Amino acid sequence: MGRKILLVEDDRETADYLVRGLTEEGHSVEHVGDGREGLFLATGQSFDLIILDRMVPALDGLSVLKALRAASLETPVLVLSALASVSDRIEGLESGSDDYLTKPFSFAELLARVNALLRRSESRAASADHRLMVGDLEIDPLARTVKRAGRPIELKPREYRLLEYFARNKGRVVTRTMLLEQVWDYHFDPGTNVIDVHVSRLRRKLEDGFDNPILHTVRGAGYRLGNPG
Amino acid sequence: MKLPTGLRVALLAAMLTLAANLAVVGFIRWRTHDESAGLVHRQVIEEGSVLDDVYATGDEAALRRAIADILGARDPQYFAALLDHGGRPKAGNVVAVEGPVNVAGYHVGRIVRRGAAPVEAAYTLRPLAGGDWLLSGRSFAQRVAFENTLERSLLLALAISVLLGLIAGYVLARYVDRRVRDIATVADRIGDGDMTHRVPLSGSDDAFDGLAGQINRMLDRIGALMEELRLLTDCLAHDLRSPIGRLRARIDAAMAAEDDGRREALFAGVVHEADSLMRILTTVLEIGRAEAMAPRGQFAWLDPGELVAELAEMYEPIVEEAGVALVLDRGPALLPLFGHRQLLAQAISNLLDNALNYAAGGELRLFAYCEEQTMRLGVADRGPGIAPEDRAEARRQFGRLNAARAPGGAGLGLALVEAVAHLHHGQLDLGDNAPGLIAALVLPVRGRE
Repeated sequence: MGRKILLVEDDRETADYLVRGLTEEGHSVEHVGDGREGLFLATGQSFDLIILDRMVPALDGLSVLKALRAASLETPVLVLSALASVSDRIEGLESGSDDYLTKPFSFAELLARVNALLRRSESRAASADHRLMVGDLEIDPLARTVKRAGRPIELKPREYRLLEYFARNKGRVVTRTMLLEQVWDYHFDPGTNVIDVHVSRLRRKLEDGFDNPILHTVRGAGYRLGNPG
Repeated sequence: MKLPTGLRVALLAAMLTLAANLAVVGFIRWRTHDESAGLVHRQVIEEGSVLDDVYATGDEAALRRAIADILGARDPQYFAALLDHGGRPKAGNVVAVEGPVNVAGYHVGRIVRRGAAPVEAAYTLRPLAGGDWLLSGRSFAQRVAFENTLERSLLLALAISVLLGLIAGYVLARYVDRRVRDIATVADRIGDGDMTHRVPLSGSDDAFDGLAGQINRMLDRIGALMEELRLLTDCLAHDLRSPIGRLRARIDAAMAAEDDGRREALFAGVVHEADSLMRILTTVLEIGRAEAMAPRGQFAWLDPGELVAELAEMYEPIVEEAGVALVLDRGPALLPLFGHRQLLAQAISNLLDNALNYAAGGELRLFAYCEEQTMRLGVADRGPGIAPEDRAEARRQFGRLNAARAPGGAGLGLALVEAVAHLHHGQLDLGDNAPGLIAALVLPVRGRE
């Protein structure tokens, strides 16, 4: 299911790399090299996602973003930036972007975030049944209960939030930094593998006593909740 | 036209003395003028009435005798005469009067005496019987002479004072110029890149010494910062060599690898090395931003108890896996803190990482409590601790106590914690947990307005 993505990026090499990668994923990508043109396209056509470099010529990324939001355009925006300090990230997020990714990044990280943002705009439309189903896993966000194959699973509040985030991105790769940002709301990089330990605990609770694994590790990228394959 | 500073200050001083002395001299001149005029006036009236009394008690002959007596005293300023009704002198030393001659009272006019030039004078006229007039008066010559002398003296005094003003101004200017030049010389040398110079103190503890002291302190601070910066860039360049070297080695090995599985494993290592390199750079950047106080705009009120509880919850699994017990120690009545949640969390997470890396085993205490005006947030472990003499090195960016102690660490952890403490107007306190290390952010608490 290809989606329309606008890429505003002045660095030729990064842009080619992203266009190629996203096109391979089945999306159609429109690329412009400066902010003014980006704003022009974003307001003129409808896109499912905008990937916006923070420092582009003519009009900087955050100004483009402000102009878009001022025109009440709610297209999800992923900001790319070489400004990597925590305060820069906070500033980027507070200026109305939906996600902030610092350069350099791996394509896997970008793709995971792009998919999460596309999923969010999708699910805004349809969610009649509030329950989340992943294979034989059933999550009730209202009651905050989890069952697998009908058997209830006891989770701590943080484990529940972790699982809910996985479930809302079922079948998609979720990276460690995404978990840290979305589940813990921390925007720094902890030196240790705290996240992995949380995930493996959750995995034990979900998979102990069951034959088939449901929470998979994706090498070099992160984790994925869902059926194998 | 630009005058040298010394000359300008001297001229200014001379002008100011001139203005001040002009005011004084003018006042003296004005007072003495009035005074001497009044003196002549009183004397003339008094002497006139004395003669009038002689006439009133005696007769014209007595008056003539009295006049002759007084004139006999040969006061060159004094004159007296009897005038007939037409104003012609009948007796006395007056030849002619240029001025009123038949109106009683005090007058100013010109008097001609025998054998002398006419003089400006004040005189009184009193009527006598038979239409005659008694004239008695004094010339202004003495007063004019006195005033002339006074004026000359005052002018001379004025000239001397201007000269003295010039000299004083010049001496003062030389002094100021010398002191300023001392400072300027040091500034020049510093500008040329030699940071070792300091402004000499005169030891008089005056304003110039105060200024010199301030400049010296500023130079000390700048010097220390430059040294820190130099050390930092040296360390950065040096410390980046080894991860980049490892990166290169792994890439070389991967390129040479025959089988795909091994190559993939080596590339995973490459990515890992690249990530840790990025982490070092991000942390250096973060420290720089925090020390520059840039993130203060993102401060908000937060609950420190909640902050440490969240971190305890986050670290609990990994701490447990390391075989350590994590104790959350929250003091009573925790005041809210105005700060940067992300950076505080990062700082405390660095302390937790350190404790996990260096102090495996025993108990790890994550604490937050208030003490009078300060709040202490931090971690206490049961590891080997840091000896007091090593604590400064531990805080330094890229400071490493010994290579064996820090597997993979870049020596930035505590430097970042300290930068975050500074950002919050606080300090990083390293203490002894007997045994172990207590590392705490000591932050000032301030009331919520």
